[in-house]
Amino acid sequence: MPQYILRISLDHTSFRIPSLLSVSQVFNFAIRFISKDKYRGLLVIELEKEEDVHHILARDTLVLSACELYASGDTYEELHEQMKGNLKVLEPYLHSSFKFTLEGANHRVLDKRVTETVESFAYTELKGKIQMKDPEEEFVIFEDYDWEVAHTVEARIKRDGKFRHVYFGRRVGFGKARLLPTVHDVKARAYYGNTSMDSHMGFLMAGQALPAPGKIIYDPFVGTGSMLYASAHWGAYVMGSDIDGRQIRGKAKGKEVKPGILRAAAQYGTEDLFLDCLTYDVTKSPIRRGGWVDAIITDPPYGVRAGAKRLGRKEGGRPLRDEPYMFPDGTYSHLMPGYLPPSRPYELANLTKDLVQLARWLLVPGGRLVFFLPTVTEDYQEVDVPVVEGMRELKVGEGSVQDFGKWGRRLITMEKTAQDDGPPPTFEDHEEFDIRNQPDHLPGHHGFRDRYATGFSSRKKSENASPAGTPPVLEPVVSLGSGDKV
Amino acid sequence: MVRLITHNMLACHVKNCTKDNFPLSFSDVELVVRPAPENLEFIQRFLPKLDWSALVDTARSLGDESLPEQMPDQWTEEQLKALHHVLMELHVEEGNMTCRGCGHVYPISNGIPNMLLAEHEVGR
Repeated sequence: MPQYILRISLDHTSFRIPSLLSVSQVFNFAIRFISKDKYRGLLVIELEKEEDVHHILARDTLVLSACELYASGDTYEELHEQMKGNLKVLEPYLHSSFKFTLEGANHRVLDKRVTETVESFAYTELKGKIQMKDPEEEFVIFEDYDWEVAHTVEARIKRDGKFRHVYFGRRVGFGKARLLPTVHDVKARAYYGNTSMDSHMGFLMAGQALPAPGKIIYDPFVGTGSMLYASAHWGAYVMGSDIDGRQIRGKAKGKEVKPGILRAAAQYGTEDLFLDCLTYDVTKSPIRRGGWVDAIITDPPYGVRAGAKRLGRKEGGRPLRDEPYMFPDGTYSHLMPGYLPPSRPYELANLTKDLVQLARWLLVPGGRLVFFLPTVTEDYQEVDVPVVEGMRELKVGEGSVQDFGKWGRRLITMEKTAQDDGPPPTFEDHEEFDIRNQPDHLPGHHGFRDRYATGFSSRKKSENASPAGTPPVLEPVVSLGSGDKV
Repeated sequence: MVRLITHNMLACHVKNCTKDNFPLSFSDVELVVRPAPENLEFIQRFLPKLDWSALVDTARSLGDESLPEQMPDQWTEEQLKALHHVLMELHVEEGNMTCRGCGHVYPISNGIPNMLLAEHEVGR
């Protein structure tokens, strides 16, 4: 089977393999990873047919270009020896116009070495016209260097030629999805808010949900909609809900005003794919049945930029009213325009578990749940990802993590293995996360907002500082340094 | 927005409201028709998820008589196109959705329904 060299971005390396796999799953082809080290600037893969590599180029935002691999080696001697035994692969291109390109990963090859290197391929006896502009075929030599700091010209000269591996192949194409994050750049978006997700991460997340025409993808914490634009770009129907409808609409008011999310969708040409955006609390949701959503994709509120809220009243305060409240003039408070029901904080560990249970009910069999789990690096353990019968985590290696030092966020992808819908989740607070029950282990994302606000001070210390059950009243976060006074 | 495909998935969720809480009935409706690209394969796949009689009643209340009383066993392309129109192209932009059981009114403005419950309706 043919092998291909992918020139691939060194950003978001832990998202690389899941991203490639998701493309293969959407288009239903097999992919085999040949490179021993899968996290270098060049990655060799094996595919059944060239069509598959075009799917990758069209869809994967991390892939810069792809070449069919003809020969490789740790040195040029090894490469040439292998190539000389493999010359028949060039037969279809013997009379095509062509050019040679020498590319380095992690290094820019010195110009003076280019000509001699290209000439060392004279034995290939290509007879076509050499044409630097728009040739029919482009042959590429890739030198793969270790990542190293080389600030000066001297350092670059010294390093030149000291590559780890060299590859030779024929260019199949360039990554067409590379530009998508720029096209969807939040700064240029018609509508966004302070919780909008970076557009590239939006695409990487959306990829995991396997978006395709005819699928329904739902975000239960839709906010300003950033999870949906990338999904809709790949043709899926999308819908969202949020407890705070102002996020969906934006500031502009009036009858003819188009909601903010739709304005951004119109900018990307996907407005007709936005099925609906609704205001409700997902824990008290009007959804009448399960088993009809193909994927749930969400960046749940961590409680840092946007407070995670659910309907209800704080424990220890006034209990919820059972009867509507009537003003002295005989009108009901809840029928006044602008009435907002009371809400209470939605603790992240509870939210996460509820989310997985919601997915278990709402998804079709084989449907996917994709979400970011912010977690305190020090406290994270693998068991933190909620285990729910009928849902299975899909993970590559250590998982996909965006590391910010003391905390990081993990991209969790889960698949519904159950065939039935099961009962809808109850959204009760989970006892295992109640600190009054003194659980043996609290997930690394439990009480994330408080941990963030206290600069991620160790849990043991902060437990002493604030007795269990009465979290400190939080002021807006002004400083992240632990113990800093502003 | 508020397309009938979504409307067919929504029921009143006020606490203890379990009778006649679906489908929500529209009133004072401002209806907009926006042509949407057809994906009849999707429509056909979605059929089993729909509550047919609720859909037919709702469509008729909005003045669309194109759907048959009983869900057809065999679908013609024309019927699927009519269903596509009802599910995907009708947008209720303004108006109310009212629960026939408890009478709760869910207002729609700019195509976004407010389905938050009032304090006394939340339940614990």
